[in-house]
Amino acid sequence: MGRYIIRRVLWVALVMLIVTFFAFLIFYVMPTADAATIFAGRQPTPETIAEVRKQFGLDKEWYEQYGKFVSDIVTGDEYGWPGFNMSYATRAPIRETIFDRVGVTFQLAVGAAVLWLAIGIPIGIVSAIRKGKMPDRIGMGFALFGVSAPVFWLGIMSLFIFWHKLQWTPGTGYVPFGEDPGEWFGHMILPWGVLSMLYAAVYARMVRSNLLETMGEDYIRTARAKGLKESRVIGKHGLRASLTPVVTMIGLDFGVLLGGAVVTESVFNMNGLGSFLINSVRVGDLPSVTAVIVFAAFFVTFLNLIVDIVYAYLDPRVRYA
Amino acid sequence: MSKKRYLRFMALFVVLALTAAACGGSESDDEPSGSSQNEDEGGVQAGGVYRVGVLESFNYTNGFDPTGEYLGSAFSMYGNLLLRTLVGYRHVAGDAGNEVIPDLAELPEISGDGLTYTFTIKDGVMFGPPLSRQITSDDALYAFERIGTESLVAQYGFYYDVIEGMEEFKSGKADTISGISTPDDKTIEITLTKPAGDFLQRVAMPAAAPVPREVGECFKKAGEYGRYLVSSGPYMTEGSDEQDASSCDTLKPLSGFEVDSLHAFVRNPDYDPATDTTEARENFPDRFEFIINKNQKDIFDKVEAGEYEDELSSPLPQVLKKYSTTPELEDRLKINSGDRTWYVSMNLTQPPFDDVHVRMAANLVMDKEGLQRAWGGPLRGEIATHVVPDVMLNGELDDYDPYPSENFAGDVDAAKEHMKLSKYDTDKDGLCDAPECKGVLHYTRNVSPWTDMLPVEEASFEKIGIELQTRELADFYTPFQDVSKAVPIGSGAGWGKDYADASTFMVLFDSRSLLPTGNINYSLIGLTPEVAADLDVVEALTAGGTLEGIPSVDADIDACTEAAEGERNTCWAELDKKLMEEIVPWIPYLDATNVHIISPNVTQWDYDQSAGYTAYAHVAVDADAQ
Repeated sequence: MGRYIIRRVLWVALVMLIVTFFAFLIFYVMPTADAATIFAGRQPTPETIAEVRKQFGLDKEWYEQYGKFVSDIVTGDEYGWPGFNMSYATRAPIRETIFDRVGVTFQLAVGAAVLWLAIGIPIGIVSAIRKGKMPDRIGMGFALFGVSAPVFWLGIMSLFIFWHKLQWTPGTGYVPFGEDPGEWFGHMILPWGVLSMLYAAVYARMVRSNLLETMGEDYIRTARAKGLKESRVIGKHGLRASLTPVVTMIGLDFGVLLGGAVVTESVFNMNGLGSFLINSVRVGDLPSVTAVIVFAAFFVTFLNLIVDIVYAYLDPRVRYA
Repeated sequence: MSKKRYLRFMALFVVLALTAAACGGSESDDEPSGSSQNEDEGGVQAGGVYRVGVLESFNYTNGFDPTGEYLGSAFSMYGNLLLRTLVGYRHVAGDAGNEVIPDLAELPEISGDGLTYTFTIKDGVMFGPPLSRQITSDDALYAFERIGTESLVAQYGFYYDVIEGMEEFKSGKADTISGISTPDDKTIEITLTKPAGDFLQRVAMPAAAPVPREVGECFKKAGEYGRYLVSSGPYMTEGSDEQDASSCDTLKPLSGFEVDSLHAFVRNPDYDPATDTTEARENFPDRFEFIINKNQKDIFDKVEAGEYEDELSSPLPQVLKKYSTTPELEDRLKINSGDRTWYVSMNLTQPPFDDVHVRMAANLVMDKEGLQRAWGGPLRGEIATHVVPDVMLNGELDDYDPYPSENFAGDVDAAKEHMKLSKYDTDKDGLCDAPECKGVLHYTRNVSPWTDMLPVEEASFEKIGIELQTRELADFYTPFQDVSKAVPIGSGAGWGKDYADASTFMVLFDSRSLLPTGNINYSLIGLTPEVAADLDVVEALTAGGTLEGIPSVDADIDACTEAAEGERNTCWAELDKKLMEEIVPWIPYLDATNVHIISPNVTQWDYDQSAGYTAYAHVAVDADAQ
């Protein structure tokens, strides 16, 4: 088990190195636009552009820039660890901004994940055990709606109904929990609901199909033949097997969300990583874009690592594969 | 809980709530520091919070460090709230808002030759916390030294090159700026190398606002000082009073400036209203909050709901329509001159626009009324007929239109007459028929209103035989400002003033501002083969175009810059006419307005003509309604 974990950790490190390389390549080497020109004002002199280029470190060879980029992440920079340097746009340390924002994204992702599991799994189970009947049709109707409805539309509609018309919720924005727990919940409930809708639909469909497949297995027939109650057959034998892939999916989906729920954060005006990424792309703030990409990649690979380790623990065959 | 107990609980709750409200009311009656001059004038009361929804990001260009910051909205925050300059503005709409008035100093004495300006700083003008000390002439000198410090990237530092010794200081050849002296704590003398009629307006720009040396010198890189800014105005960044300025190491970023979410200002306790005038600043609200909101629709919903008082965004068409057609909302729609011209730019080196007759025909044929409609109609601006917005020329060219047509819809016959004089009309039928007239590369933006303008432009050009090959770009400026791209025509460009002097538009035609990338002289006026060689663009431009016979207006610009105050406007107006009639680099089509939508909580609002944004110095809110 120890060797397996070490092997997986080394893989994560390699993947992260590859991600940093391509992120750097795409944003620093390939663009034809000179970032120094963009950030030197609207009537820049050649001297001004040269000074900005120097301060951004763009006057060095690309491989030197890349080396510094990676070493700053690993060993830290003048602003602390991990080092993402300074934002071109805000002239503030990116590390500070990311740490401020990741908390918001984390709260959004955790709340949404709880909701989508609480909604998606029961719907999937009910749809599977009542296959072809009214609950199945309603459940799969919900799933179809959830999968089809764009998040931005759901967001705008929910704001229109629950804030603008009914005034049940306080509208957009984010209020820290420590400041006012009631306001925090009021501002989070709609983003959670909207974000969870898509995932709940996907999970409902996945649980339904997995459970249906499992219920056709020989060992389920054996369990029934032994005279076990149907609830025990489903609960102990059917669900246990059919929910295993859900663990993998949660790990992946949660990791992706921690990289920023771009649309939800934008619609609900939440200062998370997703909205930071969008804005950084819009203004050409390359260090911020690459920092968010690296940060998001870290979450995805780290949560994959956790999932792999959990799997290896549950199923020893995986360790020897 | 029984019904009876529930009712008792509710009654107790109501009593407590009313008591709390009453206590809160008495607190708000306390007079805030620095607001004594303003209490209850004409029904407008001090107090409350003025909240402004800011779309996407603050977009500061230099981290809010006034030495390099070049964003209009930042200029308005500095001038109205945070920074006082030696001379400043009234922060009101119209011509009065563009007039320079005393601020930290009285208006200067100017020597007979127009070269030396002597300012005397007023008694009692103070920096706010954490310094809380008198502003001196050395602080004013230090602001100019920062402008001349290359590592701080003063983005409009070129305005101050006219000061004697500035260039030597910039290049490191001198330790001091020889043209600036401070004989005592109150006096600062500035000597210029040549007369500049707009020098006072340059002194009124935020980069020239005094900076305390003891704090400013802690920051060596561009943009860093913005998070530590020491106020000299009626407000300060929240958290300034918690700052420890005993050494550079103890300074911390101000808590009220969260670079990607909130910029909050509170009253500066060291601001003495007696050193200022209510004509310039009234300072009603207790607090200002600039709040980033990525959702444009949400910003306007919040303004309507009274959750924001104002916005730094661009009203959506449906919002504009609602406010302009609903009588009870009309008062909350504020439209003012933006001192900004939108134009189609033609490249004088590239065919078919290397022929002045084609450029004239293009001006005559363009359906400007159609372009205005694409922008949303007259609310978004008046049709432009020349380069500099009318309000900046004090009426010199109000009725001037060298390419008139009925209802601005374009005059096809007149355009064809000009086209006949062009070398690109080989059969002289008024249509551009040479191969260069087909597939003419045209850059524009990929968002409205430019996408809505496109059919109008293409239809207009077709009437004189020019077929455009359009590229709609998300990032219009970067490739269009790259001279080596040799783009013949572009429609995404607009230009606004830095201050109310036409010189800030004429820089667009100055050959000395030409750059290989980041170039703003899109038409390449004044480009010579020698300059093109310096810029390394000869091959790119001559592949399909020419470098011969491109006119220059550098001498005209110099003459107007040095012209005396009373003659400047006429000089710039004559140059504007020369550009429109002889050189014809643009098809100007819109003198844009600035549109603001305000909430029902706002009880007083004005427009700051000098900055082109809300006059925060004069706004007031109904604090009880918030």
